[in-house]
Amino acid sequence: MKKKYIFWVIIALAAVTIPLFSGPYQMSVLRTVLTYAALAVSWDMLIRSGQLSFGIAGFFGLGTYISAMCSIYLNMPGIPAIIIGGIITCLIAMALGTIILRLRGMYFAITTLALGEIFRIIIRNGGEFTGGPEGLIIKKLVFDGGTIPTYYLALGILLVAVGASIYFQKSRFHLALTTIRNNERVAMTSGINIYKTLIIVFGITAGIQALAGASFAQMYGFVTPESSFSGDYTLLPLAMSLLGGMYGTWGPVVGAFLLGILSEYLKLYIPYGHLIIYGIIIVFVILVMPQGILGLLKKKFRKEAV
Amino acid sequence: MDSRKKALLAIIAAVAVVTVILLLWKPTVLIFGVQRAGLYAAVALPMALILGIVHIVNLAHGEMMILSAYITYAVARALGVDPFLVMIPTAAVMFIVGAILYRVTIKHAIEAPELNQLILTFGLAMVISQGINMVATSQPRKLSLDYVTASLTIGDISFGVYDFIFVALALVMLLGLTFFLKKTTMGKAALAVGVNPRGAAIVGINVHKTYMLVFAASAAMLGILGTFFLTKMSLFPTAGGAFTMKSFCLVAMAGIGNLPTILLAALALGVAEAFIGSFAGMGSWTHIVFFAMIIAVILGRSFRGKSL
Amino acid sequence: MATLDLESVSRRFGGLKAVDNVDFSLNEGEIVGIIGPNGAGKTTLINLISGITPVSSGTIAFEGEDITDMGPHGRAQLGIGRTYQLIHPVEHLTVEENVMVGFVFAQGMNMKQAREASKQLCAAMGIEKPGRIVSQLNILEVKKMEIAHALSTGPKILFLDEIMAGLNADETHQVIALVQKIASERSLGVGVVEHVMGVIKKLTHRVIVLESGAIIASGEYEDVVKNPQVLEAYLGGGAH
Repeated sequence: MKKKYIFWVIIALAAVTIPLFSGPYQMSVLRTVLTYAALAVSWDMLIRSGQLSFGIAGFFGLGTYISAMCSIYLNMPGIPAIIIGGIITCLIAMALGTIILRLRGMYFAITTLALGEIFRIIIRNGGEFTGGPEGLIIKKLVFDGGTIPTYYLALGILLVAVGASIYFQKSRFHLALTTIRNNERVAMTSGINIYKTLIIVFGITAGIQALAGASFAQMYGFVTPESSFSGDYTLLPLAMSLLGGMYGTWGPVVGAFLLGILSEYLKLYIPYGHLIIYGIIIVFVILVMPQGILGLLKKKFRKEAV
Repeated sequence: MDSRKKALLAIIAAVAVVTVILLLWKPTVLIFGVQRAGLYAAVALPMALILGIVHIVNLAHGEMMILSAYITYAVARALGVDPFLVMIPTAAVMFIVGAILYRVTIKHAIEAPELNQLILTFGLAMVISQGINMVATSQPRKLSLDYVTASLTIGDISFGVYDFIFVALALVMLLGLTFFLKKTTMGKAALAVGVNPRGAAIVGINVHKTYMLVFAASAAMLGILGTFFLTKMSLFPTAGGAFTMKSFCLVAMAGIGNLPTILLAALALGVAEAFIGSFAGMGSWTHIVFFAMIIAVILGRSFRGKSL
Repeated sequence: MATLDLESVSRRFGGLKAVDNVDFSLNEGEIVGIIGPNGAGKTTLINLISGITPVSSGTIAFEGEDITDMGPHGRAQLGIGRTYQLIHPVEHLTVEENVMVGFVFAQGMNMKQAREASKQLCAAMGIEKPGRIVSQLNILEVKKMEIAHALSTGPKILFLDEIMAGLNADETHQVIALVQKIASERSLGVGVVEHVMGVIKKLTHRVIVLESGAIIASGEYEDVVKNPQVLEAYLGGGAH
């Protein structure tokens, strides 16, 4: 128990003090890794109910645009614009959820895959208001784009995701989601309102994905249909979650750190198509070690303990 | 039975009304719509075959078509020949690619939960599209062939003739598939496996071999299709994703295992897209039509109390 | 007015009448057997009552309130509990957590109260070490957990769908005693679907016999089994 405590203190200290020893390049890499970790955790939260979403990029992109518009049209400062981006996207996702959460399995998965595409098309064709194919520019960056404060911003968003995820694991949501994933009939006759539960979870996870997107928009100062709704934002978090281990908070975080840092090296050596690695990782993990790295470690420790 | 007949009558009536209105108002919509429908149906048929028999949604479906288009493109360019001369070799290569993909990946996920299968084929889609990106870069590729631009003018409307080749292709594929499934021993065995794999195994059908064959045959069909696609459209690594989604939409609309209805669904999608696209400045909205359709189908089914 | 009242309830699947014009009622404190050959519609009947499957026609009332259009989770909250023929314990949860689900979602307890209630219920049911994961249980414990899971929703009416399947004679006797104890302590109305006639004979106050979705006989076990129509259904159906 004490050992565990010390471990977390060290992690927390490292997370907070890392800007003291790192240069701007490392900081920007870490910022991206933290954001991807938040996306990966949020994706995992929904799959705990058995619903596979390919809609991460869609909600991420929606968050970038809503916060950019808040800044441009309402002169909102960065942080409130990010929060509004998250909240509005959460509400949009809940409204969409009332329709698409009637679906299960492949129907749900493919509809969420289509969502990103739909949002992108709508925004691309939105004329001056959405900036059309050229996108929009935010004149004033959040914290003036400083690497250290934006690092803490990304850390804060990861903490929101991790906090929500841990709450989901400790509260009644844990019972509800796990039961739904196991067998929906049993869940229903145990008194669980599946539809309502899924709408809430879908909304919250989409909101977190939008927070991540909104913070990206406010850090980099621009949004375009292609960059904001890039399929990378679906592909990478998925690969990260799988590699680290699904159905828990820390698997996706570990996966995000491993793959996020790996990706920086790959980008340098493979200019085109370095994302193939993520595809290969997804295929490999699903076929060979569906429990992920943390799952494997846990199994090993359990065996040693016995 | 009665309600099904009524529904069929209603569909026929609706189609007739729409056709007449379009003929009078926007005849080109009908022509372009039918041409699009041909392409969509042709792409959706192999997906329906895999879904109906192997019971797997192949999210790498569109990507496999694009892969075969790139293969044809590379070979045709290198040898300086017409792409159609390369079509059959490409189909053969894709047959092998399909068999290998099945043997190495899909086979090991046949018993896995649906979620794992979906994630797996999503991963395959990424491997294929990013692999293409790695080898061929993201620069768009297009062949310029003079025979694809042939056009016909009737009265004051003028349209391309070559695109009807997709309609012919879809019809040939449907007839070929129907013949294969209904008349050949191998096809009947495949159908039996699709309906009841355990039962089929008991009577001595090799289930995995059948799955592999179906997967490889679908890949070969995509090989042929890729060549046709190449003659008309430009290629880029991620061009396949939209076709995966549209194919799935059509299969879902038609109902799994219902091959002929895919043509009808494709017709609805093609005409609706051509209709939206016929208004000035609306061209880029056409890709949203399938999404509206998928939502409509879903709602329709859930109101009828049928679980999808 | 009985606790549960079904009035001319039917359910069709395509052309097949799975449940055909069934009138049925169940009161608190009574144990009713639901028997019939395979495919007679026993499980479908339970699915209609628990709300998993919507009725094609007819009405279902619980304590006088029409619940025909109510969803399954609402019915569970009102007090209709059930077990499943193919049991699906949640493998990723502990026994204790499995049994907490109904306390939390059907009875509205918070997690702490539910954990306490779950521990007590597990102890009362004779399930030791509820911190275990499901895969460590033996078959008898799994069955007990299945019943505990259904009881956690706080039912007034409980349906047991072939709960004895897979148990040996000794274990079956234990579960019969357990069900009798629970039913009398909580004055539950219990509907029992069972293939083993010995269980029905021992456990139930009265039985209904389904064939092709319709009730062909009802009354006390001893009388019903002598009914020529029932004999015909069983012998004609080839079951048992």
